[in-house]
Amino acid sequence: MSDDRYPPGTPLRTRSVAHRRRGRGSSRAIAIAATTAIALAGCAATGTSGGPGSGPLNIGMSLPLTGSAADVAKSGYQGYKLWAAQVNAAGGLLGRNVHLDVLDNGFDPNQTGTDYTRLISQNKDDLLLGTFSSLLNAPASAIAARQQMLYIEPSGGAASLFTRGFTNLFFAQPGTTESLPDLFLEWFGSLPADQRPKTAAYLTQDDPSASPAIAIFKTRLQALGVTLVYDQTYDPSTSNFDSIAAGVAHARPDMVIQGAVSNDGAPFVRSLEKLDFSPKILFQTRAPADDTYPGAIGAKNTEGVFTAEAWSPKAAYPGNAAFVSAYTKMFGSPPDEDAANSYTAAQVLETAVKAVGRIDQKALADWLHSHSVGTIVGPLKWDATGVPVGTAMLAQWQQGTLQVVAPKSAATSSTVVYPKPGWSTR
Amino acid sequence: MTELVQTLIFGILIGGVYALMATGLTLTFGVMKIVNMAQGAFLIVSTYLCYALWQHFGLDPILAAFLVMVPMAALGLVVYKLVIERLERIDPGLTIVATFALALIAEAFLALIWGPDQKTTTPAYFNQAIHLGPLVIPRAQFYGCLLAIVITVVLQVAIKRTWLGRAITAASENPEGARLIGVEPARVGAWIFAIATGSTAFGGAALSFLYQFTPDTQDFWLGLALSVVIVGGLGSVPGAFAAGLLLGLAEALTTTYVSVRWATAVPTLLILVVLTIRPQGLFTRTTRQDAGS
Repeated sequence: MSDDRYPPGTPLRTRSVAHRRRGRGSSRAIAIAATTAIALAGCAATGTSGGPGSGPLNIGMSLPLTGSAADVAKSGYQGYKLWAAQVNAAGGLLGRNVHLDVLDNGFDPNQTGTDYTRLISQNKDDLLLGTFSSLLNAPASAIAARQQMLYIEPSGGAASLFTRGFTNLFFAQPGTTESLPDLFLEWFGSLPADQRPKTAAYLTQDDPSASPAIAIFKTRLQALGVTLVYDQTYDPSTSNFDSIAAGVAHARPDMVIQGAVSNDGAPFVRSLEKLDFSPKILFQTRAPADDTYPGAIGAKNTEGVFTAEAWSPKAAYPGNAAFVSAYTKMFGSPPDEDAANSYTAAQVLETAVKAVGRIDQKALADWLHSHSVGTIVGPLKWDATGVPVGTAMLAQWQQGTLQVVAPKSAATSSTVVYPKPGWSTR
Repeated sequence: MTELVQTLIFGILIGGVYALMATGLTLTFGVMKIVNMAQGAFLIVSTYLCYALWQHFGLDPILAAFLVMVPMAALGLVVYKLVIERLERIDPGLTIVATFALALIAEAFLALIWGPDQKTTTPAYFNQAIHLGPLVIPRAQFYGCLLAIVITVVLQVAIKRTWLGRAITAASENPEGARLIGVEPARVGAWIFAIATGSTAFGGAALSFLYQFTPDTQDFWLGLALSVVIVGGLGSVPGAFAAGLLLGLAEALTTTYVSVRWATAVPTLLILVVLTIRPQGLFTRTTRQDAGS
């Protein structure tokens, strides 16, 4: 995508001409270039690169800038761009200007694999940053591991990503999907036994980021005495939730837990609204954090809906308010969670590089395994597999705003709305 | 037993809405033999127009449908005269490509005007339900189904009892014979296209309050409408209604008694079964075709 090696506005034709000219060099020049390439390849193979002052520091990434996740990628890319601009304004990393080498994978896992191979082997990027979704991070992280490159991913919290024995993979969020239910269950357990909901309905999109969390909800809520009355997994292409909502309403559960990944959260709520069925608790995994959620179900109807968040614009972690302000100034609208996640991943990379003082992939990974990193989502540290030792925040919609209700260190509201009020006419 | 009755109620209500979405397509596809790939786009254009009237004037989408019907019928007439009629003379197959292109253009225009975000209307009855003992009847779906019944009856009466209706039937079954008795198939075709496009106003109104919509929602509804038309039989308005109910019931019963995962496969499976057993669709009879017609 962006290419800082040419001045802005340089026509593509000029660039291709420059490439052709390079191709017409003398045999001596070719020999020098080949020797240099072999030397650089040798550096890459041993996981080291040049030191301070040796040109731009190239950071490779492949993002779904087109395709079905393009909206996520846009803000995620902007988070990376803000970080790069801030680092460069402060003198760069290791004294070198940061250059983001971005490829578009169209939300295709195969293309993502190809892109990361190209970034490492052909573009010889110094460092890598991760892409979005577990679907794309799975192949990308495997290639990074094979090439012994550090791989910090902004999203992709499916548990299956961290069971492959990689030692250079790090998830830059406070918790994976497996820790997503923790704080909710903690709050639930704190309710007096006679006030706890007795029955629950579970609804899960067939997605690696949703299914494991809902499975944990089921097991742990059953252990707390909650009876399962409805349990279904739906296809990601499902857009009509009327029949599903009818099944849920018929089971009349006290609470509904939905593994909603994106746009599946709002239509399910609308289907419940049409049936005039409102549970005492509604927890949806990701959907309620989406900007369009209040508009889709009606701002009043968001009241009391629970979700889990990796990041909140209001959380009082060092640098978070400054990030929100800088992002808003740079892009004209406040950041969303994807922007924050990519910014966090870049913060982790920056901290490790500054601490180690050189581009040494193994040393960087070793440092991250043994240190805690301060980020806009709070301090992050990881276990041996790259899983963050922490948990996502518990958030709830209250009076038209998504508030963090746990943990206390990040809470923006001291109260929890329970039971959820019934649906209102907008 | 209550669960079964409740499931059947939901199936019928959802099916009625499916039938409503397919009404226009059954006329153009079945009667005129035109595979109108823009029917889904027309539906979404109507939905956005109903949404605009609701948003700016607070007009109930069902009432808005009566206003939207007029410009939509006019749009159908213009599209027929400018595109369909001309291309049919060259090669009827070209109408598929042309209507597909129209759908893409309409989608782009809608995205330019209203953006890609999901929209919806929420009239007062949106989150109200009629409770009959343990049974629940959502008002929104009930009104959607009621609209489907009214539109089906009106169209059926118009086709069976009016001169235009008889002309449509004659022109579709035997164009040459129709010409002999003074019916010009091209003129009748324009009327059908206008009626089919105008009828999307009611489907669009129901869609605006029943579901969320974006410019590209047309793909889903076009696919579903094609399923309804194929199962019901080409050109049969009551067939489309019955097929819509059948699809809705199959989907609801599958969701309740088999698995939610299978619900999205129901229309495809139903088409396969119907095409195997009765290729002409469930509610049409095979008629003799004149050689060369």
